[in-house]
Amino acid sequence: MSGRERVIAMLDGKAVDCLPVMPITMMFAVDQIGKKYYEYATDYHVLADAQVLTAETFDFDHVSAIAETREAPDCGAVVEYFDDQPPSVVESRALLADKSSLARLEIPDPLAGPRMHDRIKGIALLKERAGGGKVVEGWIEGPCGASADLRGINTLMLDFYDDPSFIRDVFGYTVEVGLRFARTQISAGADIIGIGDPAASLVSRKIYEEFVWPYEKRLVDGLHELGARVRLHICGNTRHILQGMGSLGCDIVDLDSAAPLDEARAAMGPDQVLLGNIDPVRDLRDGTPESVYAAMAECHRQAGPRFIVGAGCEVPRDTPAANVHALVCYAHEHAP
Amino acid sequence: MSLFEEMQQAIIDGKAPVVKELTQKALSEGIKPADIFPKAIVPAMDEVGRRMRDCEFFIPEVLIAARAARAATDILRPLLVGDAAARPAGTVVCCTVKGDLHDIGKNIVAMMLESAGFRIIDLGADVSAEKIVDAVRAHDANLVAMSALLTTTMVNMKSVIEALAAAGLREKVKVMVGGAPVTESWARSIGADGYGKDAPAAVDLARSLAAA
Ligand code: B1M
Repeated sequence: MSGRERVIAMLDGKAVDCLPVMPITMMFAVDQIGKKYYEYATDYHVLADAQVLTAETFDFDHVSAIAETREAPDCGAVVEYFDDQPPSVVESRALLADKSSLARLEIPDPLAGPRMHDRIKGIALLKERAGGGKVVEGWIEGPCGASADLRGINTLMLDFYDDPSFIRDVFGYTVEVGLRFARTQISAGADIIGIGDPAASLVSRKIYEEFVWPYEKRLVDGLHELGARVRLHICGNTRHILQGMGSLGCDIVDLDSAAPLDEARAAMGPDQVLLGNIDPVRDLRDGTPESVYAAMAECHRQAGPRFIVGAGCEVPRDTPAANVHALVCYAHEHAP
Repeated sequence: MSLFEEMQQAIIDGKAPVVKELTQKALSEGIKPADIFPKAIVPAMDEVGRRMRDCEFFIPEVLIAARAARAATDILRPLLVGDAAARPAGTVVCCTVKGDLHDIGKNIVAMMLESAGFRIIDLGADVSAEKIVDAVRAHDANLVAMSALLTTTMVNMKSVIEALAAAGLREKVKVMVGGAPVTESWARSIGADGYGKDAPAAVDLARSLAAA
């Protein structure tokens, strides 16, 4: 089976020859080709080179257009670039420091916005170079993360209590931005759309269910209507929101290491495909090939057969290649 | 409910305007500003810390409570200047270290320390060792509280400790560190004076370091 066939078969509930493997890589990937993260973030050729080389070297089943937010800068947010780490939205100059500006924001055209367009071109290139044998993954920001990028995460956290109707408005806006961006990514060749919603783990279950979930659901349903499969990744400790995450209807729920897979399995039922989730730093970067293999076996045991191998979050830069090989080796040597 | 209990509840519920009103009421009733800290603000924020530890409170709840506590401390601070009995528990220079933009945890720690009676010099995020050294000197601080959320920036905590030593200030300040990837053993290995697992632990630690 090719990686592409393997992933799709797993998602369709069909037989696979071994476990699929789809770890998140960004800084690790760019380090493989000896370039700086600035280049990865600003030039889709570099992103495609890094992703294809990394996926081939380690035999991943996918290539991904994942990187820092592309939506926020094209909506007008100020972003600071660094030489060799991901660019970051400048919170002190947040686009929505004044909430009333939301009414004037338009949904950016992904083909006109430079940062979004770079990703679209990256996806087309990934499709061309690796799409035969590997799944091509696009990426968008989830409502909580995207809104934090526009409003400033510290302020957004207060808005949940100060101005719930603003939360609904800004979440609704970001879902529209995300869907429009995803539509173009899918046209360019993305098979799967990843949703990253890191800030969603910072709120209580009550807030998650009342505010975040409905918009994540709208996004997931919209992506399905567009014909994509959906991978949801929420960084951090999601133990308190597992049930909600499991009822969004995502094709893949990708869990960070703080949320044990057996808890996720109990909360989400036997059919949900889970992805993850060894501790990226303690297990993957600082472990040995043997300990990585053993940690992966424990994840598999907890997750059961509907499972894709990965780390809890991005493979950290400076992770020894042998450890990443061990992670992939576990996948290759095990059927679900 | 006593006035102090009402204040505590309003802080826990994150009701800044109510806290402001109650603080003014307390002062108009002749309650000493210095008494409001131990009887209302400190116990309220201790309870907020407990709820955060027990996962009853998440970031939004903690931030609105801290903001409410600040509504009281903003009124009280100017009244305490020159009151020998109400000297701050210590002066803390706090920040997230160079290269690191994560500031939510640092903000929570700073606000909790402030509610516990410390004077806070918040340098923000992505702060160089040099700036920290300057601030310690300029504000005559006795504590440095550093946060890091990235395994790649944790190492910068060590550079700060070295810079403090090079500037001849290491004996003068206690250094505490925290943030998700930081551990007790890491703190020890870089020569920090203490590690806080979470914000309540940071407050306990600051109290004990300031008293030492
Ligand atoms: C002095 O004494 C003390 C004592 C106790 C102290 C203390 C000091 N400081 C903290 N404490 C303690 O008290 C607090 C309360 O109890 C606690 O504070 P914490 O700070 O630990 O906890 C906070 C209250 C809540 N936690 C947080 O605020 C962090 C939340 C998550 C989602 C997160 C966020 C929000 C952000 N991020 Co970033 N981010 C993630 C986080 C994933 C997650 N869900 O956990 C994490 C931390 N990020 C990460 C990464 C890699 C990154 N982030 C980046 C960027 C960002 C944003 C800017 C988008 C945003 C930060 C916005 C902001 N203003 O803070 C990039 C780097 C930017 C930079 N140069 O800093 C980027 C590199 C981009 C990327 N690839 O994701 C990961 C770090 C991995 C690692 N171990 O190195 C990460 C764990 C996500 C992940 N799973 O990969 C305790 O640790």
